[in-house]
Amino acid sequence: MSTRRRLSDRLVFPAALLATLSVLVVVFYYPVWSVFDAALGDTGAFLARGEATGLFAPIHDVLADPFYTGVAHHLFTEPAGVPAGVLAWLADGVQLVGFGLFGFTAYQAALSALASVALGLPGAYVLARYEFRGRQTLTSLTIVPFVLPSILVAVGFQATFGQTGLVNDLLGAVGLGPVDVLFQLPIIVVAHAFYNAPLVTRLVTAAWDGVDPQQVESARAMGASPLRAFRDVVLPQLLPPLLTAALLAFVFSFMSFPIVLALGGLRLPTVEVWLYAKVQSLELDTAAALATLETALSLVLTYLYLRYEAFQVTASADGGRRSRRPLVDGLRKLADPRRLLVFGYAVVAAVVFLLPVVSLLVESVTGPNGGFTTSYYEFLLARQSSAAVGTVKPLPAIRNSLLFALGTLAVAVPMGVVVSLVATRGGRWSRLAEAALSAPIAVSGVVVGLGLLQTLVFGVELFGQRVTATGPIAIVAAHAVAAYPFVTRNLTPALGGIDDRVVDAARSLGASRLRALVTVTLPLVAAPLLAGTAFAFAISVGEFDSTILLAEGSSSYTMPVALERYVGNRSLGPSLGPATAMGSVLLVVTAASFVVIDRLGGRYGG
Amino acid sequence: MKRRAFLEKAGLGAVAATALAGCTGSQQAGDGSASTDSDTSADGDTPTDGATTGTTASGTPSGTLRVATYSSFTGEGTAGNWLKSAFEAEYPATTVEFTTPENGVNKYILQQQKGAPIDADLYVGLNTGELVRTDRELDSSLFASIESDVANVSEVKDSLRIDPDGRAVPYDTGYISLVYNANEVEAPGTFDALTTDEYEGDLIVQNAQQSDPGRAFLLWTIDAKGEDGYLDYWEKLLANGTTVLSDWEPAYQAYMNDEAPIVVSYSTDQVYYHGEGVDIQKHQVGFLNDQAYANPEAVAVFADTDTPDLARRFVNFALSPEAQAEIAVRNVQFPAVAGVDPGEEFSKYAYEPEQPVTFTYEELSGNVDRWIEDWARTVADA
Repeated sequence: MSTRRRLSDRLVFPAALLATLSVLVVVFYYPVWSVFDAALGDTGAFLARGEATGLFAPIHDVLADPFYTGVAHHLFTEPAGVPAGVLAWLADGVQLVGFGLFGFTAYQAALSALASVALGLPGAYVLARYEFRGRQTLTSLTIVPFVLPSILVAVGFQATFGQTGLVNDLLGAVGLGPVDVLFQLPIIVVAHAFYNAPLVTRLVTAAWDGVDPQQVESARAMGASPLRAFRDVVLPQLLPPLLTAALLAFVFSFMSFPIVLALGGLRLPTVEVWLYAKVQSLELDTAAALATLETALSLVLTYLYLRYEAFQVTASADGGRRSRRPLVDGLRKLADPRRLLVFGYAVVAAVVFLLPVVSLLVESVTGPNGGFTTSYYEFLLARQSSAAVGTVKPLPAIRNSLLFALGTLAVAVPMGVVVSLVATRGGRWSRLAEAALSAPIAVSGVVVGLGLLQTLVFGVELFGQRVTATGPIAIVAAHAVAAYPFVTRNLTPALGGIDDRVVDAARSLGASRLRALVTVTLPLVAAPLLAGTAFAFAISVGEFDSTILLAEGSSSYTMPVALERYVGNRSLGPSLGPATAMGSVLLVVTAASFVVIDRLGGRYGG
Repeated sequence: MKRRAFLEKAGLGAVAATALAGCTGSQQAGDGSASTDSDTSADGDTPTDGATTGTTASGTPSGTLRVATYSSFTGEGTAGNWLKSAFEAEYPATTVEFTTPENGVNKYILQQQKGAPIDADLYVGLNTGELVRTDRELDSSLFASIESDVANVSEVKDSLRIDPDGRAVPYDTGYISLVYNANEVEAPGTFDALTTDEYEGDLIVQNAQQSDPGRAFLLWTIDAKGEDGYLDYWEKLLANGTTVLSDWEPAYQAYMNDEAPIVVSYSTDQVYYHGEGVDIQKHQVGFLNDQAYANPEAVAVFADTDTPDLARRFVNFALSPEAQAEIAVRNVQFPAVAGVDPGEEFSKYAYEPEQPVTFTYEELSGNVDRWIEDWARTVADA
C-alpha cells in the first residue's frame, strides 16, 4: 500500500508536468516558433559558412529604425556616438525626446495600467471590506468586461462618450459640455482600464479576503493605529496581487490592437498595429522581429516582477475571514466620509463600466433611425431556424462556447496548479521557469494565430502522412494554453504563503501528496483559485484569434466567431445591430456563467 | 502618376430594356440559366482523370467544388448562396462548398510556400493588390490562366480587367466615394476642399493597412496627387483634423453617431438607406473631382485544383448575365459584365462616377506596400 502510494506520489507530479509541457509545445511553442524564427535572419549562412552578419538582421533593422525606437535607434546605428549625443542633449537643456512606436506604446500602456489600478483598487476595497446586498454577485460580474469583443466595446464607448452619447446628453442636461473625447489618448486609456481594471479588482479582492483577521487584531492590540496595522499587515499581502494585475494590465495594453484603432485611430498607433499590418502584407521578417521584441519586453518585465514577488513575505491565509462592514448602516452613517468616497467611486465605476455595457444593450434594440426595434433579435432567431448552408446559428455558438470553456477549465486549472507548484518550489530557476511558462500572455494573438495556421491547420508531414490538428480538441487546448497563466498568476502568490507545516501534518497523517494538495492546500487558496478559474473561463469564452482558425467549417464556431460573422452581415443593411444583439447574448450568457462558477466554487472553499 | 480613367461612362440604364430587366428579385435558382452552359474549351484543354476531376466520361460535370471566399459572401440571402443553388441546379451532380479563411488569400499563399496542399479549388473576392502580393510572394503562380478557357470572360468590361495574365477575372466592382450629411455640410467636390477650414474635423477615413475602402481611398489620393504629392496632401488632411479609424464598421458607426459629417464609404450607400423614415440627406454620395475609385472583386482558379473543368464552369456561370444581375443586387456592387441590368431599385440608388479611376496590376506591382507603409508612418507621426 505505502509503496504504491509513494510510487504514485513520485509519478503524479512529473506526469502532470510532462502533460502540461506537451500541450504547451504542441499548441504554443512550436506554432509560435514557426513565426519567430523569421526574426533570426540569415541562419543558413551562419550555419553553413559561419557568416554572422545576417543574423538577427530583422530585429536589428527594427531597432535601428527611428520610426520604431525614436532616439534609441542611435544605440544600434552608431553606439559609439551615444555618450557624446547624451552629453549634447544634457547641454542643450534636456529637451523632450521620443522613443518612436515602442515608446508611445509603452507610454500608453503605463497610463492604462495606472488607470486600471486607479479604477480597480477601490473596487477591491469595497468588495472586500463592505457587506451589502448583491456583493457576491457583483464580485462575480466584475470580469464581464474581460470577454467583450473590441468591436462591441467600441460601439458601447462611442454610444457613451461620443458627441451624441449618453455622457454628453447628461452633461447637456445640467448645462455643461459637450466634451469631445473620442479618438484621443484618454479614451484609449479608459477603454484599456475597462478591460483590465477587473483584473485588479478580482485579484486584490481574493487576496484581501485571505488576510488573517487575527494578525490585524494582534497588531492593533500591540498598539498599532488602524493605518499602521493596514500598512504593516494588510498591505504586504495586497501588493503582490496588485502588482501582478498592474503588470498584466501593462502587458495587455502594450499588445492592444483593435480597440486602439477603433477608438483612437491610427494617429495613436501601437506596435501591434504595425505587427498586424506586416502579417497582412506577408512581410513576415519584420512582423517576427516586432513580435520578438514585444514578447522579450513582456517576459523580462514578468521575470523582474517574479523576482520581486519571491522576496515578499506572504503571511498564512488560514485564519478565517475578517468581518465586513455593512455599506448601508442607517441614514446617519451615510454621511461618513469613507462611505461618501465609496459612493463617489460607485458613480465613476458606473460611468466607465456600466454605461458602455448598458449602451450596448440599448443599441441592440435601437433601429437606424433611433426608434425601438426587435429586428436584430429577430435576425438571430431567423439565423437559428435557417436551413441555408453556411448560416451561423446562435444556439450552437452558445453551446460550443460553454462546452469549450468547461473543457478549458478542465485542462487549464490543473495546468495552472502544476505550474504554480513549480514556481513555488523556490530558487531563481523556478522563477525563470514560471516566466518562460507565462509566455502565452506575452505573445501577440496575431502571431499565435499565424503560427497555428501554418502548423496545426496546414499540418505537418509525420512518417509520410500529413497530420493536421483542428476541431474542438485543438480549440480547447489552445484556450487552455491562453488561460492557464491566469490560474497560475492568481495562485502562486497565495501558495507561497501557505504554512508548510499544515501540509506536512497532513502528509505525516498518511495523506498522499495528491490528496494533501486537493484536500488541504487547494482549499486554503480557494479564493485565488476561484478567481483564476473565472478568468480561465473568461479567456476561453472571449478567445477569437485561435478559435476562428481551428474551428473546422461551421461545426465548432463560438459566440465571438458568430458575432464577427454578423458584423459582416449586410442583410439588415450596413448595421452593427445583429452584432450588438449577439453581443448582448454573449454578455448575458457569460455573466450568468460567472455567477454560477462563483457559487459552485465558493462551496469548495467552504 | 498618370491618371487612369477606367470604365466608360456607365451604360447601365441604357440597356435596361433587355430580356433580363425583371430578373433580380424572386427568380428561382437555376431558372433560365441553361443558356450559360456555353461550350468552354476547358473540356478539351485540360486533361482530366476520371473520378476526382469533376467530369465523367460522358462529359457531365460532377463532384465537389471548394470555393474560398470572404465570410459575408456566403450565408442566407447572399450572392454566394444564390450562386451555389443556381449552379447546383444547373449541374445536379455537383456540390459547391464554401470555405471562409480568416486570413483570406494569404492562407493559400502560405500553404504554397510551406508545401502544404491547397484545400480549395477557386477563390472569390480577390482584388488587384492581393493579386500583386500573391505574385510577389510566390515563384510559381497560385492561380491558373483561364481567360482563353472560359467563354464569358470576353464579356467582362475591358476597363475592369485587372490581371495581364488572365487569371483573376472580375465579377463585380464597387466605387469608393464619400458619404456625407447634407444637413451639416455641402459636398466638398474636390480633394483640395477637404483640406480647407470649411471641412475642418469633418472627415473619417479607414486605415489603409487593413481596410479595403481605406486602402482604396489612399490609392485614389495617390492617383489624384501623384506619388510625389500624396504624402503632402495627407499631411494637410491630417492637420485639418481627419480621423483614421481601423475599418469600415467603426468608421461608419462613428459617422452615424454624428462624430463627423463625412465618411469614406461606397457609392451604393443609398441602396441600403432610402424610403420611409430615412433621412436621405444623411446618405448623400459625394464624388471628388467627378471621380470615384473602382475596386473590382475577382474570381480565380487555383492552379493546383483537381477539378479544373468544374472550376472553370463555375467562373463562366458567375459571369452569365443572370448571375451578374443577382450578384450585383445581393452583393450591392456593380456588375462586371457590360449590358447587365441589376434592376430598377439598384440603378436608382447606386451611383456611378463620371470618371472611375483605379490602379492597374502593373502600377501597383512593386509599389503598393511601400505607398501604404509611407502613408501609415505619416499618419502615425502626424
